Amino acid sequence: MSILYWEDFTVGQVMEFRGREITEEEIIEYARDFDPQPFHIDPEAASKHYFGGIIASGWQTAAFCMKMMVDGYLAKSSSVGSPGVEQLRWKQPVRPGETLSIKAEVIDRSLPKSKPELGFVKFTHTVFNQDGDVKMTMLSSGMFLRRPSALASAEMGS
Amino acid sequence: MNRVYFEDISVGDKISAGSKLVTREEIIDFAQKYDPQFFHIDCEAAEKSMYGGIIASGWHTGGMLMRMMVDSMVNNRAGLGSPGFDDLRWILPVRPGDVLRFESTVIEARKSASRPNMGIVRAQVYLFNQNDEKVLSVKTIGMMLARPE
Repeated sequence: MSILYWEDFTVGQVMEFRGREITEEEIIEYARDFDPQPFHIDPEAASKHYFGGIIASGWQTAAFCMKMMVDGYLAKSSSVGSPGVEQLRWKQPVRPGETLSIKAEVIDRSLPKSKPELGFVKFTHTVFNQDGDVKMTMLSSGMFLRRPSALASAEMGS
Repeated sequence: MNRVYFEDISVGDKISAGSKLVTREEIIDFAQKYDPQFFHIDCEAAEKSMYGGIIASGWHTGGMLMRMMVDSMVNNRAGLGSPGFDDLRWILPVRPGDVLRFESTVIEARKSASRPNMGIVRAQVYLFNQNDEKVLSVKTIGMMLARPE
């Protein structure tokens, strides 16, 4: 399988990937470590709360999104990390039994002057459930290495 | 414990708390579940990368920040959740052995126009390591209940 370099991402490109079913156990396990609020860790307290049942921490929803990005395209890319996220919105809570998927769209590309070996790609990522309801949106950038042949010809001035 | 309502929050309020030791085991465990890129899970390959060693997933760092905020402020607030955040920057990598703390400063507090029993609070949050270097910056948004009449 060939590696995705910065050159392989084009503005307007859309990629869609399906995740898997989210369980109550993993919602509680994550929240005990990172977000121990009653509506994330206590099914009984959560049922009386206005969310009407246990919901995933928003940070876990972002982590689920990350896993789908890695499995979908980052693992077979030259990704060297991310500088950050411009905007993230939790549109609806994620509940046990839902199956998530993501849509990634390339909206911009740029090359930093200081680091010729890499480039930035800006994406919007949308997380959906199995019914097509939007759960989360994220505007973020990734850093990818440049294709070695492109770099070599740039150095030779061609 | 007295609950903190929207009226108790003012622009400029600052909270500094947390002392989270980051371990290699936690970094690898988180990344295997949510962010299995080699520089988060493979020590040997990470040493040869531009990071010069294993680093925490940015989402793991965000989770550790959330935990410190929950322990020190969120759980005693009349909170109604959050619609999201803006301008999250992973400024420096977080590495095994780092000790993290956060600082949160309220930058905006306003009543909701559509829901008078609710307020919206924005804060500039920084995460620091043991050398007082900023490792993460984020502008958080929280919704809070107004004090009942």
